[in-house]
Parts: sequence; C-alpha cells; structure tokens
Amino acid sequence: MKRNCTRSSMLVTVVLLLSLSLFAQGAKEATGPTTIELWYGAAITEAGPPPSDWVGFGIIKEKLGIELKLTALPSNESDQDVKIQAAAAANNLPDLFMVRRDVLGRLVPQGLIAPVDDLYAKMPVRTAAHYDDVSKGHARIGGKSYGLADPGSIMKNEGLLIRKDWLDNLGLTIPKTTDELLVMMRAFTFNDPDKNGRNDTWGYGAFQEINNFEAWPGRRLEPLFGAFGVDGTWSLEEANAGLNVMKPEFYDAMVFLKQVADEGIIDPNWLSYKKDDFRAAWKQGRFGIMREQNAAFGAQSNYAPFDKNFPEGNWVIIDPPKGPKGKASIGPYTANFRIYAISAKAAKEGKTDKIVALMEWMASDEGYYLLGWGVEGVNYTKDANGIPVAANLPNANLAFSAPGGQTVTQLRNMVFYNGDIELYARYPKYVTETSKKEMSALAVLREMQTKDWTAQIGSDTLPIPNADLKRFYEQGLSEFITGKRVLTPANWTKWLDEFKRLGGQDWNDKGVAFARENNLLT
Amino acid sequence: MSQVPGKKRGSQLARDIRRHRSVYLLLLFPLTYYIIFKYIPIFNGQIAFKEYMALDGVLGSQWVGLKHFKTFTNSYYFIELLRNTLMYSVGKLLFSLPLAIILSITIYECNKPTLRKMVQTLAYLPHFLSWVIMYGILLALLAPGDGIINDIIKLFGGKPLDFLTNTNAFPWIVIFSDAWKEMGWGAIIFIAALMGIDPSLFEAALVEGASSWQRVRYITLPSIRPVIIIVVLLRLGTILDAGFNQIFMLYSTPVLSVADIIDTWVYRQGLLEFQFGLATAVGLFKGFIGMFLILGSNRLVRRFGGNPLF
Repeated sequence: MKRNCTRSSMLVTVVLLLSLSLFAQGAKEATGPTTIELWYGAAITEAGPPPSDWVGFGIIKEKLGIELKLTALPSNESDQDVKIQAAAAANNLPDLFMVRRDVLGRLVPQGLIAPVDDLYAKMPVRTAAHYDDVSKGHARIGGKSYGLADPGSIMKNEGLLIRKDWLDNLGLTIPKTTDELLVMMRAFTFNDPDKNGRNDTWGYGAFQEINNFEAWPGRRLEPLFGAFGVDGTWSLEEANAGLNVMKPEFYDAMVFLKQVADEGIIDPNWLSYKKDDFRAAWKQGRFGIMREQNAAFGAQSNYAPFDKNFPEGNWVIIDPPKGPKGKASIGPYTANFRIYAISAKAAKEGKTDKIVALMEWMASDEGYYLLGWGVEGVNYTKDANGIPVAANLPNANLAFSAPGGQTVTQLRNMVFYNGDIELYARYPKYVTETSKKEMSALAVLREMQTKDWTAQIGSDTLPIPNADLKRFYEQGLSEFITGKRVLTPANWTKWLDEFKRLGGQDWNDKGVAFARENNLLT
Repeated sequence: MSQVPGKKRGSQLARDIRRHRSVYLLLLFPLTYYIIFKYIPIFNGQIAFKEYMALDGVLGSQWVGLKHFKTFTNSYYFIELLRNTLMYSVGKLLFSLPLAIILSITIYECNKPTLRKMVQTLAYLPHFLSWVIMYGILLALLAPGDGIINDIIKLFGGKPLDFLTNTNAFPWIVIFSDAWKEMGWGAIIFIAALMGIDPSLFEAALVEGASSWQRVRYITLPSIRPVIIIVVLLRLGTILDAGFNQIFMLYSTPVLSVADIIDTWVYRQGLLEFQFGLATAVGLFKGFIGMFLILGSNRLVRRFGGNPLF
C-alpha cells in the first residue's frame, strides 16, 4: 500500500516536471515565420474559433510568412476590457487586438500602443475600403491615430416596432404622438390585445442597455426621450451643447417615463432583464412596442421562435412618436467602428510590417472571401449576381451559415465593411417556416434607416465620467423612476445640483470643449 | 555527552522526509501553488503605493504613498460600500452558518438512509451552479411580471413586487439566495465533525432517557463547537469579501445604494478604469482588516478557554 502511494506520488511529480518542461519549450524563440498573436472579436459568439486545420492558417503562413495565433475575446464588453487591461498591466498585450475606444484611451498614455498614422499608405486596398477621415479620427488621441478603426455595425440599424396584429385586434391605429402612444400602451396592457383571455401583456418592452453616448435609461428607451429632444447622453447642437440631463426637457422626459412606469404599461421586468431575457420576452408575446435591432428582429434564426409562437403576429416599423414640441427621434447615432490596435511591444519587435501585410491581405479578394464566407464550393457558392449563398453545397453543415461552417468565418468582422455583397449575403430574403411570410433583415434595415434619428457622430469619443459620478447619475435617475426618490421639480433641482457638485459640471464642460476642439458640434 | 542541536534537528528532518517521502511529495503541489499564486504576488503589493505604469514595471513606477488609500476612503460612496459589504458578509455568516449546522445535524440524526442521501444531494446541488444560472432561476421565481412568487402574491390579491430592484427586498434576496446555494456545501465540514463524535455518548444519553433535543444540545453542539469556532474564525478573515460574483450578477442601477460592495466598486473603478494601484490598495486594506480580525478573535477564543486556530 505504502509502495503504491510512493509510486503514485512519484508519477504525479514526473508529470508535473514534464509539463513544466513543455511550458519551457513554449518560451523558446521561434525561428522561421513571424508569430503574430491576434485577439479578435468573434463574429458569431456562440460558435467556436477557426479549427486548427483551417485553410487560412496555411495560406497566411505560406504567402505572408506569418504564424497566426488566434484568441477570441469575450463577447461581453466589460469582460473584454478586463482581459485586455489585465494583459496591459502585465505589459503582455498581444501583437494585434480589438479594443474599445475607452480602453484605448487608457492604454495610450501608458505607452503600450503603437501609432498607426504611417500604416494607411502601406495598405492601399484596405484603406480605400475601410478607412476615411472619420474612422482615422475615431482612434485619434493627442493628435495621433492609435488604432485601425474598421467599420462596425451599420448606422441606424435599429427601429421602433409595434405589434400591428394587436392594433388591429383592438381597432387602434399607429400612434403618432406620445399621448397616442400612452393610449395604445394602456390598451396593450389592459385590453387583452392577443385575445388569449389572460392579463399577460404590456405596452412597451425594454431593458437597461447603456453605453457612453446612450446613458441611463439607455438605448431601448431612446424613442421616448427623443420625443422630448433629449435622446442620448449629449446634445451636440452648437447652440445647445452639453449633457442632456442638465436640460429642462430631460425632466419632462423623466416625468413621462415615470408615468409609464407608474401606470404599469411597460413590462415591469425591464429593470431586471438582460439582453437575452428581453429578446426571449418579445418572442413570447409579452409586449407590443419595442426598439430592436434589424437582424436581432428580422434574421431568420431570430425571427423563427416568434413566427412559431405567433404565426398571425405582425411587427411593423413605425415613426418615433412626436413629443409636446413636435420632436421625434429613434435615438442618437454615431459611426460605429471596431478598433484594431498594435501593441508597442509588437512594434518594438519589428512586427509592424507583417501586421500590415496581414491586414492588407485580408482586404484582398482572396482574404475577403476566405474570411468572410470560407472556401468556395465547401462553405459557400455564388449566385447569379456573385453573392455568396449557402446553397448547392456537398455538405450543408459546412455552409458559412451552418454550425459546422460558422467557425471559419469568425474573423469576418476584420474584412467586412458593410458593402452590398456582405449585406445581401448576411441578410438574404427568406420565407418564414410557419406563417410563410417573406422576410428580409436587409429590407428591415433599409426601412429603419429612413426614420428620424439624431446625428451624433463622435459622441462615443467624448470624455466619460469616473465610476462614482457614473453611479450617481444612473442610480439617481433610476431611483426617480422606481419611486425611491420623489420626482418633483424641487427634488430634481436638488439632485442635479449635487450631480454638478460631484463632477457633473466638470464632465459637461470637458465634453463640450472636446466636441468643439474636434469639430463634433453641428 | 553533548550533541550539536542543529545537526540533530537536520538529520531528524531528513529522516522524517525519507520516512514520509510520499506525503512530502504530495505536499509539493499545494506548496508550489501557494508560492506561485499567493507568496510571489505579495511582492507586487507595493503597487498599492505607486502610480503603476505597465512599461515601468512594479519597481520603476512612481511612488505615490497613500494616494490610492485616500482615493478609496474619500470616495463619495466609501461609507455606503463598507456598510453594504459588512451587511452582506455578516448577514451571510449569521444566516448561512446556523442553517448549515442545522442541516448537518438533521442529516446526521436522520435514520432513513435513502432520505438522508437524497436531502444531502439536493442540498449540495446548488453549490455547483454558477451565479449566472442562479440569476436565471431567481428571475423566474421573483420577476414582477411573471415570477412564480409574484404569481402567488397576485393569486391572493396582492400587488406584485420587484424583488430584484427593490432596495428593501434586495438584501434579503442576496442573503437567502446565498444561504440556499451554499448551505449544503457548508454543512459538509459539520457532518464530518459529527461523524467523529463517540457513539457511546449518544448511547449513554439514550439509556439516561435524554430526548433528541437534549442530545443535540448537550452532546452534538458541544462536540462540534471547535469546528464552529474554526469556521467562524476563517470567515472573519474574509469578512470584507461579500460575494462579488453573486452581487455582480444580481445588482442593477435601482438597487446600487444597497447592492454596491467594495469588490464591485473596485471592479468598476479599479479594473475597468485601469487603476491597478487603487485596486491593489483596496485589496491590501481588506487583507489587513481580515488579518486583524482573525488575530483578535483568535486571541479572544484563547482567553476564554476555547480551541483557537493557532
């Protein structure tokens, strides 16, 4: 027994030593191709990374002399930030990595990021398709550009949607104003619009989706605030520049939202929902009005559960409701980018030229189609118009849109620039399985883009408050809505004064100054 | 005959190692872990006093003294953070510990093996669920729109309550959900202690006509008292760890006043804002508070004749 125990211990020790030696081997200097470590934002977060035998690795190695090592960043933005900043703190950033603008702003003063101003000229094909003055300015800090800002999600790709079948059931028409919207929300909540005999529906559905330029209550409620002309964190109108929260109309918008909450005509789960909960909720028919993204609503796999649950269900895109002064907006929009930065460490190690070659190759026809859709004949075929489609393939599971083929398109966001080919391929027309409706997320997108929006290009680059001030802002507003604070003009003024004293005024002034310096005011 | 004490000790140690070499070999693994992940990082603790710049490294960064500690203590929410952290930490200790003890005694006293095993398994199960899953379960139970609890409230004519965004309800949700999740796992150590009680004590008590409650009061509880003391002492060391994962998943803006704890603040202010010096300073602050609490409590236990930790 004792001998066995000794042998087991010895065995475990040997395994440990062997594994240590393996780590040591990993640290050895590689010869031959240059290793480029790339941390990318996965195109399909629920699918895995490109397989180790992905054809792209071989092409990149053979043609560019690059041994590409891929690591997918977490899908959650906060987790992404933590991962990147932890690596930065250890001076161990990868050679090339996707990074959010806020984080980039923190890494640049640390001297961890290489400027990229000289690189555009070395990538003529990519620069022509991907970069313009706006994108170059997006990652500019202290006069230098520190990131390759590739086109991100399409502008104005969300809309206000309403359940037309519920309207018809109740004999109502599409609301044009906030007053009509209130009437309709009440009807959707209390008049059993789905005729199922149960009191299980609400007027509006939302969740708290907050970012730099869409502060609390966030993106999903912007159409309500847009009716008062205070959608978004900032106003970038020259005559009215500054934080929207400091404007009198913001109080009016808060009163309106408070009324909606108090009357119980917004899904009461909205403060608890995460994104997935919200999306599951509209597919379960819980509410009749929402702001949603075109593909999250209209893409085949996303619409299918709703279609199955409610074959007679019919969402239509509507104009944002007009407020008391005739204002209306779906929300603020800015140019969206995915920034790829090069670490100073990689530049110091002389890898910049290889990275440039890699990025330029990605923009070539070969790279574009390979990263965007995979291998022709295996992952896609081209239709009569030259659009990649997932048809006539020997193995349907390897189609770029199928689970087996999705992994080879994980880097597609590094090559896509929202060109027509991509849009047609990404958002094909289809017929829904149950209701046999013809749908197209592209048609949805085009319609959404025709609605009223508030132009705020560059508002996502404005200064951000410190964590305490941010909390004070978000907590205070939410407490007014939930009733923990009583929403009266006196209380509002008192809260606003405290907000300014805590640093809100300084945040406002710095933001306006930044916007003015960078010509963001309109 | 005189001996060289050092030599004797050395040879004794060598003999011990040779004799128990397998055990010492096994010790290598935890020892390596603790050296790499617990002791070497102590060196980096100095960045709590520095303006940490990644390129300059730990040694090269500028010394700023107590700046980060002042930033933390001067935070607008410092008192609230401390209050919330202690509230959850002490609350969990006061709720989870007695529940774990009661559960362990119940399982120990149960004389139906099938029922005992079933209860044990069901009680352990939630421990293995992540707080992401737990959040989903809690939302299904507590959501104001269609949560099961609110459905019951509505059935009896009550008004639904949004437990997760109500500042009065939220602390109870945190404490009870933690107790539910960890009670079974926490009971393991007490069950182990109960197994060590001499059965003859119970047999003698039975002969003397002691009731079940009397057996628990006069035999079971005194027997596991040393283990309870050790568990409490160890928990005091992490008194400022109120459960980041749980709070992070459950909290939302309407309940920040009762939900924000030191760790969530550090996450937002320290990690997300790239202020690693500040994050380390708060970590040191928490560590020192925990250390003083352990030392003080240990001394108290010794003074009052209990079984101290060391």
